[in-house]
Amino acid sequence: MERVLETKSLCLGYNKDIYGEISAFAQRGEIIAVVGPNGIGKSTLLKSLSGIQSFRSGEILIDGKQISSYSHSRLAEKISFVPSQSLRARNLSLFDMVATGCYNRTNWLGQVGPSERDFVISTLDRVGLSGFDKRDSSRLSDGEFQRATIARALVQESKIIFLDEPTAFLDIENKLTITKLLSEIAHEESRSVIFSTHDLQLAIRHCDRIWIMGRESFSHGSPAELIEKGAFDTMFKDSPLKFDRNLYTFV
Amino acid sequence: MKVKSGYIREYSVISAALGLLILLNLILGSVIIPPGEIFASLAGKSDLSFVNEILWDFRIPKAITALLAGVALSVCGLQMQTLFKNPLADPFILGISSGAGLGVALFVMGFSAFGISLTGSFALNLGVAASAWAGAFGVTLLILLVSSRLRDNTSLLIFGIMLGSVASALITLLQYFSSSSSLKAFVVWTMGSFSGLTSAQIWIMSLLIVPGLILSVYNIKELNILLQGEAYAKSLGVNLEHTRRRILVATTLLAGSVTAFCGPIGFIGIAVPHIARMFFKNADHKVLIPATALLGAAIMVFTDTVAQLPGQSGVIPINTVSALIGVPIILIIILKSKFI
Repeated sequence: MERVLETKSLCLGYNKDIYGEISAFAQRGEIIAVVGPNGIGKSTLLKSLSGIQSFRSGEILIDGKQISSYSHSRLAEKISFVPSQSLRARNLSLFDMVATGCYNRTNWLGQVGPSERDFVISTLDRVGLSGFDKRDSSRLSDGEFQRATIARALVQESKIIFLDEPTAFLDIENKLTITKLLSEIAHEESRSVIFSTHDLQLAIRHCDRIWIMGRESFSHGSPAELIEKGAFDTMFKDSPLKFDRNLYTFV
Repeated sequence: MKVKSGYIREYSVISAALGLLILLNLILGSVIIPPGEIFASLAGKSDLSFVNEILWDFRIPKAITALLAGVALSVCGLQMQTLFKNPLADPFILGISSGAGLGVALFVMGFSAFGISLTGSFALNLGVAASAWAGAFGVTLLILLVSSRLRDNTSLLIFGIMLGSVASALITLLQYFSSSSSLKAFVVWTMGSFSGLTSAQIWIMSLLIVPGLILSVYNIKELNILLQGEAYAKSLGVNLEHTRRRILVATTLLAGSVTAFCGPIGFIGIAVPHIARMFFKNADHKVLIPATALLGAAIMVFTDTVAQLPGQSGVIPINTVSALIGVPIILIIILKSKFI
């Protein structure tokens, strides 16, 4: 399998080391969940991998090349990033919001051509927002808005999509819908989807592989492997929480 | 809630209102000129020399200045509000007017300190404009120099406000040590005025504002992305530093030039973008930039007309009128909408 993303002894941080060392990879067409306790650096990892934030040391390879060798616009062709809480712009139509994903392909005024227009509409259909294109994006429900941000990232046509806690503020039904949608996107469109989450059960059921940012060490592998190894117990070290292998959750 | 896309009707209504307001602006003043005379004079067919003189030497230049100032300040305010995601941002939030004020204060009070009295209003006016522009440009230059070291736009905002405070403090210091006549000259400048600009000055002002407007149109694409947050903009491959610089340069050209020639004119730059958002209900800058330009022109011309109302007994300072018109508008917006 083609490795679209690879990290070698990556150390995160700005002025000081926050977390290290991470050596992991992502293959084309797989969905990966990043799990770990609050404040361990999941957001920092995703932002560093998508080039929004700098990192301390180590290497990030995108399609086999150093991330620093890409220009802003070339990197945007490879990577898209969905922040944990996207700003809602009042009175911005859903179409206009999603169409900004075409940034690198639109004219100087940011207008989309006919083929891009069709692409935006079909992407809205894809995420289950058919007929919503003229709606005010700021008045969508949290679940709808999260799907809109995913559509915006899909329109960017990047191979790798990072999402920072895409299901954090959603009810259980929307959590499932979004996770299923992400796994469909990864498998059907052979993109790599990497997202951080606190929902272990959903991650174990729907993801191809999981990266665990444990308090002591970093580990990664398929859900089955990690359960076998007891890797989830490294997540909350020295804590009364224990991972239940049947329930896929901490008790 | 749906967002509309075509706005031909709205644009034509505002354009028509702008036309009427300009006509009203030309009619009213110390002498009332009937519309018939105005059209005759515009067509070059008026025999009344005093009408021609009042119109062409005073009222038309003043109307053009007000129109330019309204367009420039409003378009500038819109960009500041989007850049800083702050509904209270105005063209002067980065200290441009304080910088311009410092320039003028140094010029007006500095000369008197050396015992030189400035005679000849043309030299004085041009000197004031040049020093105001230099002050505004100086502030922008400082901000541009540090902007690459600042991590986000909030830091930029804080830096700009601090810079403005320093300039204001220096102005106060200069005021404290200056003579009463130069103090008055400075205070009159801060009240704002559209009258007394020669055609040469109007040309210089337009030559600075038009590039600023062109640059603003060129900023539309990035402004629309900035609406959705800096992290998203960065992930799209938007060069944030470059964008910030372009918006800053546009701001100096627009607000700096207006301040140089007309003084620091408040409230329009903050109020008009909100009025445009309220009327057009669309956050897209392709819609908002022309909308703020048209509305800004109309409201500024109206403000100037109100300032002329005392007729024979003189002119009210522009800044008092713009505050009296602008403040109720801002209050209505705050009361009517749950969030801006």
